[in-house]
Amino acid sequence: MATTAYLPKEKMKDWLKVLSEKHQLFVPCLEDDVVLFQLFNPEKNLCFDRPANSSPKTIIFSQCEQLFSFNFKKEPDNPQKTSIELKENLEYPPTIIFGARPCDAKGFMIIDSVYIETDIADPYYRGRREKTTIITLSCPVPYVGCFCTSVGGGPADKAGSDILMTELEKGYFLEASTEKGEALLREPLFEDGSSYIDEAENIRKACYTMVEKPFSDDEPGKKPLPRFHEDTFWEQEGNRCISCGACTYLCPTCYCFNITDEQTANTGERIRTWDACMFHHFTLEASGHNPRPAKYGRLKNRVGHKFLYYPEKYNGVIACSGCGRCIRYCPVSISISNVVASLKDNMRESVDDKH
Amino acid sequence: MGSEKLKEIVSKVLPEVDVVIGYRQGFDQLHAIPHFITTPEHIDQLIWNPLCVHNLATYLPSLNKKAAVVVKGCDSKAIVQYMQEELINRENVVIIGIPCTGVIDVNKVLHAINYRPVKEVTFENGSILIRTSEGQKKLLLSDLYPDKCKTCQYPTPLVYDHLVGEPVKTDKPPESVDEEVREFEKKSIAERLAYWEKEFDRCIRCYACRNACPMCICRDKCIVESRDPHLMSQKLTPGEKLMFHMIHSLHLTGRCIECGECDRACPMGIPVSKLKKMINLGMKNRYGYIPGINPEDKSPLLVFSLKGENTEEQKP
Amino acid sequence: MTNIKNPYLPDIATVTRIIDETPTIKSYQVIFNDQETMKNFSFQPGQVGQLSVFGVGEATFVINSPPTRMEYLQFSVMKVGEVTKAIHELSVGDQIGVRAPLGNWFPYEEMKGKKILFIGGGIGLAPLRTLILYMLDNRPDYGDITIIYGARTPIDLCYKDDLKEWESHSDVELILTVDTEFPGWDKRVGFVPTVLNEVAPSPENTIAITCGPPIMIKYVLQGLARLNFKDDRIITTLEKRMKCGIGLCGRCNIGSMYVCKDGPVFSLAQLREYPSEI
Ligand SMILES: Cc1cc2nc3c(=O)[nH]c(=O)nc-3n(C[C@H](O)[C@H](O)[C@H](O)COP(=O)(O)OP(=O)(O)OC[C@H]3O[C@@H](n4cnc5c(N)ncnc54)[C@H](O)[C@@H]3O)c2cc1C
Ligand code: SF4
Ligand code: SF4
Ligand code: SF4
Ligand code: FES
Repeated sequence: MATTAYLPKEKMKDWLKVLSEKHQLFVPCLEDDVVLFQLFNPEKNLCFDRPANSSPKTIIFSQCEQLFSFNFKKEPDNPQKTSIELKENLEYPPTIIFGARPCDAKGFMIIDSVYIETDIADPYYRGRREKTTIITLSCPVPYVGCFCTSVGGGPADKAGSDILMTELEKGYFLEASTEKGEALLREPLFEDGSSYIDEAENIRKACYTMVEKPFSDDEPGKKPLPRFHEDTFWEQEGNRCISCGACTYLCPTCYCFNITDEQTANTGERIRTWDACMFHHFTLEASGHNPRPAKYGRLKNRVGHKFLYYPEKYNGVIACSGCGRCIRYCPVSISISNVVASLKDNMRESVDDKH
Repeated sequence: MGSEKLKEIVSKVLPEVDVVIGYRQGFDQLHAIPHFITTPEHIDQLIWNPLCVHNLATYLPSLNKKAAVVVKGCDSKAIVQYMQEELINRENVVIIGIPCTGVIDVNKVLHAINYRPVKEVTFENGSILIRTSEGQKKLLLSDLYPDKCKTCQYPTPLVYDHLVGEPVKTDKPPESVDEEVREFEKKSIAERLAYWEKEFDRCIRCYACRNACPMCICRDKCIVESRDPHLMSQKLTPGEKLMFHMIHSLHLTGRCIECGECDRACPMGIPVSKLKKMINLGMKNRYGYIPGINPEDKSPLLVFSLKGENTEEQKP
Repeated sequence: MTNIKNPYLPDIATVTRIIDETPTIKSYQVIFNDQETMKNFSFQPGQVGQLSVFGVGEATFVINSPPTRMEYLQFSVMKVGEVTKAIHELSVGDQIGVRAPLGNWFPYEEMKGKKILFIGGGIGLAPLRTLILYMLDNRPDYGDITIIYGARTPIDLCYKDDLKEWESHSDVELILTVDTEFPGWDKRVGFVPTVLNEVAPSPENTIAITCGPPIMIKYVLQGLARLNFKDDRIITTLEKRMKCGIGLCGRCNIGSMYVCKDGPVFSLAQLREYPSEI
């Protein structure tokens, strides 16, 4: 049995204060009408009412990471000659992501396969990942666009979380599934959790059945996306796309990046910043040739990557955690779950049929 | 809500064009999406209601096709501006105008229903009814207007080839248009800077605001991503973000038609249009020019004249 | 932390020689500043490197000196954009960043005992050069070598010294062509795919390796099919916009495969399985 604990609601802030003493602590905060992960301080307006607008991805896979800095030096005995010195910094502070959702936590697992569990790992991502503990809040209800249960997750899925919290009537039930998580539960603030297991289980199950299932799970032996190569379908779907990066930047699983150099006088840095496969110039070559010149080709690649190419490489795992952000915040409401449902060519079960 | 009349017009227009751009229902009944109609079978899905928020004119300059487009009053200002700047060939565009009584800020609805999945949406004189797992919620349309509708001066499209229904007149006083900006300008420079720093702090440089903007026509070749010239880095510093938004705003000087698409598109809820409205107010005060009203006009900054009435050095 | 090297950190090297190949292409010979790195460096024919001009950026180039000649690494750079322009401004003695080797390589072991047909256009001879020199350095392992190489004009032919030398080998057939007539040019005139058709090499026990501009590759592949070369006997190298070069940045994919890591060398048989996003 995993380590469990119970935290009365009124002690939440106390716990956060304790956590923030030894960690860089990120919590979901309400800013105007937007929920964002921000560094904790007691004055912040915490918000657990709905998932954050953007995923906590940037805390580990930073939107802007310095790969190294460089420094040009004139050689003292030969001022015509300059030498270059490179400096990398891979030291990261212990960090906690608090109040992520199960789909957010799963997002990191999807990136892990590419960035860590490979022959050439990414040292920046790995460095931050190893230093980060993820404390997830199970979802009491689904939100507009959510479809986690169709892609192998669920509103109380523990995968990727060090601790899973479930909100009960008067407090939180906490369940650690890693050593990192267990360590954080050894804290005098907590009460024994064992008597709350059933209450938590009921809440978790109730939500599971409420999540919309836009498409059915794969039938064995059937090609996952039979209509994938119908380009007329992609044109119909993709012509409304405006080629912005909202979907990819909010997504907990998108991990494409750009590398650019910046220089002032004798020093500079090489940085990597998020990039989006939906941008026109993402694949634009110096010759002017672009293998994905049209919006529909880029949409096809984004969906294809998540539902076809990635699963092909990583044991059938879908590279989408069903968080619904790209659906909720797409300026033209393109819905990846609708697109996949159409590609699977099966009927969309309406929410209405179930309730 | 005029959907039948609209379908009738679209059926008539479709044979003359390659595509008709209208709206249809999106992933749920609360979200409409742009609908590209190329065959008669697509017509049946057409809808028109206050959830049809997008400015569909935005697609025109890069379309390279003969197109018909459904526009509201505010959207039509983009077409007027395209005509001023010769960004479209008017002969290749059929404008289907819809007199509009105001659209809905979908975010306000989502907020009111606690972001629950939507099961059903219906309209009932002046209200929208939304059913979710929490039950039915009735909201007054007048509480859901985006800012632009609250001060809209041109609810009937300014240019059109077909009009769906009868023209409507505005009941909003003209002064209301810049009220928000005038109020904002009363703040001190320091307060304003602090305001923008806080707002842009959450900008993720996704460029949704830029790409949704009908007048941001460089899009794929935007200076903020270019390496040649290399004016900006790709960093997320407050300076870079402010720079991006300043470039966006300045490139819209005397061009922004205040359709609010940038605000609507921003996933971070940043009121990006406010900067542009401030510049527009300056243009109006100085040159008496308002973009997007008259196809025969030219934006003062697009007309070069050494001896212009307002371009001479200001005497004290 | 493990002490595996940071894959984004280039090694610093010094430019030791610059050769003007054509008006837009220069070759750079470089050696790593750190002698240990130079001594331990090994790679396979067809592998690429990322060259850095710090402050400007990185770009991908094939290592076109063979692993059998390790006094230096050679890259040929065609001036097309930001990084390549900066490289063209370097002089002997200047410092450059190198991340190499990256990517896969030509299946040269499987080619042993076979006849080899090289078909190149313009700067596309660069990756072929590595393999040609490697084979010449291991001559007994390979059968007859035929090289069809073309460029716009005689001035645009790369590696002119090599071409002269290869021409002198009795077991190498070198067929040069330029797109249009040119004063003083007494060899073939015509596009590479047309010349391939005229020469009509036999597919018998032969492997064809081609590299050049996308449009040339397209017609060469059609030509080879007409000559009855089987898909798995046709090898080509692909070009895509690249950044990381290690399969992470997501830029260079064709379906589930990354050109930087799973490529750039592919057989036509492999390519047939992927979406047509070339
Ligand atoms: C596997 C491989 C091997 C190559 N070998 C050679 C070679 O031996 N000699 C040679 O001259 N060229 C080679 N190229 C092409 C060369 O990498 C590009 O011409 C070069 O990257 C252009 O960079 P730029 O900064 O000058 O151009 P810009 O247009 O300024 O490019 C900006 C960025 O885009 C990327 N990029 C642009 N075009 C390409 C492209 N066609 N391919 C890859 N990345 C691109 C660059 O990495 C650069 O960071 C090769 C490309 C690949 C993929
Ligand atoms: S693709 Fe969309 S739904 Fe899936 S994880 Fe990314 S943002 Fe969420
Ligand atoms: S800047 Fe904003 S309000 Fe102005 S035209 Fe563009 S999208 Fe519309
Ligand atoms: S849409 Fe919003 S988050 Fe995206 S670039 Fe514009 S202001 Fe920034
Ligand atoms: S260059 Fe980054 S994945 Fe290939």
